Amino acid sequence: MPNRPLAADYRDARRLWAGRWERRGLILAIVAAIVFPMVAGHNALTIANLTLIAIVGASALMILTGFTGQISLGHAAFLALGAYTAAVGGQAGLPFWLLIPAGGLVAAAVGLAVGPFALRLEGLYLAIVTIGLIFLVNHVLLSFPDITGGVGGIGVPMHLGFAETEGSVLTPFSETWQLGGIAIGFEQKLYALYALIALATVLGLRNLALSDTGRAMMAVRDHDLAAAVMGVNPARTKITAFGVSSFVAGVAGAMFAYQQQYLTVEPPFNLLLSVQYIAMIILGGIGTVFGAIAGPVAFVVLTPLMEALGRQLPLISELSSSQQSTLLFSLLVIVFLIFEPLGLYGVWLRIKRYFLAWPFSY
Amino acid sequence: MTDLVQLASSGLALGAIYALIALGFVAIYRASKVFNFAHGDLLAFGAFAMVAASGIGLPWPLALLAAMLATGLLAMGVERVILRPLVGRPVFVTVILTIFVGYLIRTAILLIWGSNPRGMPTPWEPTATVEILGAKVLLGSLAALAGAALALIAYFLLMRFAKLGLAMRAASADQESALALGIPVGRTLGLTWLIAGMLAALAGTFLGMFPRQVEVNLAFVALAAFPAVLVGGLESALGAVVAGLLLGLLQVLAQAYVNPLLGHFGHNFHMVFPYIVMIIFLIFRPYGLFGEAEVKRV
Repeated sequence: MPNRPLAADYRDARRLWAGRWERRGLILAIVAAIVFPMVAGHNALTIANLTLIAIVGASALMILTGFTGQISLGHAAFLALGAYTAAVGGQAGLPFWLLIPAGGLVAAAVGLAVGPFALRLEGLYLAIVTIGLIFLVNHVLLSFPDITGGVGGIGVPMHLGFAETEGSVLTPFSETWQLGGIAIGFEQKLYALYALIALATVLGLRNLALSDTGRAMMAVRDHDLAAAVMGVNPARTKITAFGVSSFVAGVAGAMFAYQQQYLTVEPPFNLLLSVQYIAMIILGGIGTVFGAIAGPVAFVVLTPLMEALGRQLPLISELSSSQQSTLLFSLLVIVFLIFEPLGLYGVWLRIKRYFLAWPFSY
Repeated sequence: MTDLVQLASSGLALGAIYALIALGFVAIYRASKVFNFAHGDLLAFGAFAMVAASGIGLPWPLALLAAMLATGLLAMGVERVILRPLVGRPVFVTVILTIFVGYLIRTAILLIWGSNPRGMPTPWEPTATVEILGAKVLLGSLAALAGAALALIAYFLLMRFAKLGLAMRAASADQESALALGIPVGRTLGLTWLIAGMLAALAGTFLGMFPRQVEVNLAFVALAAFPAVLVGGLESALGAVVAGLLLGLLQVLAQAYVNPLLGHFGHNFHMVFPYIVMIIFLIFRPYGLFGEAEVKRV
């Protein structure tokens, strides 16, 4: 029995929950998200924060690669720009609520500069030009050690307000707060902040997918010539996608910087990071909002599991733990690409259909 | 002048290796429209196979042949098992897939040979030099140039005159018509990958020689060869060779003459220089040096 009422008009289609079960699931998820930081330990909170960062980063790539179909291997460069904006701004004493959007803006400025290349270049050419972007950004970051710390790295202080003088009244964000006897630590505060940003990003992504801009992006992805004939402006759509995507990626980079508290250029901001984000959106389901959440969750949660599995297997146990998880992930992504092109979204669809049609097999 | 000859020789040797790598990319791309990101790892595999083959006592030429064959067969296996099921899927699926296949090959190398760097066996003293116009040129560089030239000539002869080359050209022009004409497209694709793997092993062997060592990070040189592939035009073998040689030369000359000009910014600038050249070049000629202009207006 289908429990989702047919979307009869546009407002219906845009509703946050379509039916009874979606609403219950959503309420359950919100309750779980609020209860989680109270019961979770330090490690679980770190994993949760990394997941939230990955969700924002994957949403950014989903806009560019999933919706608009532009293959970008330069995602790490946008993340690096956001992260270093947060770090350099933090050293100058600027507050985090200014630097997170600022990281997005810096990344978006570069994204808008790169966007026009996508008008001339397609597919593989664009993929390789964006690899070049990683090299260029990293080279620039390493070339000004006075500002960015160069190879040695840079600390990322997180200020609550403008910290103009040493020992000012404004406490840094990392201090523990006492609220009515409950201690709220740095990780918990970060979790609350990141949960809000991730929620806003995912809602924005969903609304983008339903909006005319989002449909224009998908039309360009599916057939840009046909889209142009239908009145979509492919040039404007591609550049919009680059701008929005790099802004969100910059925000994710700034979040990553605050979570790490200390940054170096390489690792983490290399080709492997871009590839990991692509793996996430493939794993989740390319071109879907579901995939932008499920992929990062699966990726971040599976990594420790993969490492544990790698220790058990003969031969593979000789490798380092990151090599083990890279190897097992490569296998997983290859299997998904060959057998389930829609990723976890496809798996989810199949499970859902099975239960909707039960007791019939289709 | 002596400096210039010295630099030119090492630049051309590097360029010859880039040309071999780029040719491998182009061969595979023309045949199956797959851009093989695992090529660098095939190259590293070839270098290790070469070390292993001479390690068991094979004379140098035989060891080289064995390493080339082993790498070629590995490439063929990758095509048959992993890429064949994906025929007809979007380009970027195969791009991502080959990146991960590259990781698999890299892990295999680490599992089989470990992470210790080792020297590439050569029939001459590894540090032997020849005097040309007053400059000391490494014998290994000359060998790389000569080896690359021989391989390139063999490749072009194969494509031009052999039956297999004809089948490869037909398959790359239109797979369906080639099938209709009785050309075994599947087998042709496999053989293309075999040839590309052999070229990779050859490049790996020359790349692992004296100034460098054989280690798993040799794979990253393929990233440096990407600009050569794009500047040459993805479809053009001749373009790949010309652009490869030019970029090798340019990179070494930039390291010597441009880096010092830029002060602190110039540190390692030659590593990004080919990419800058590529980006500027692609703005004006998006289809590369010898690629065909696609007529498409959107």
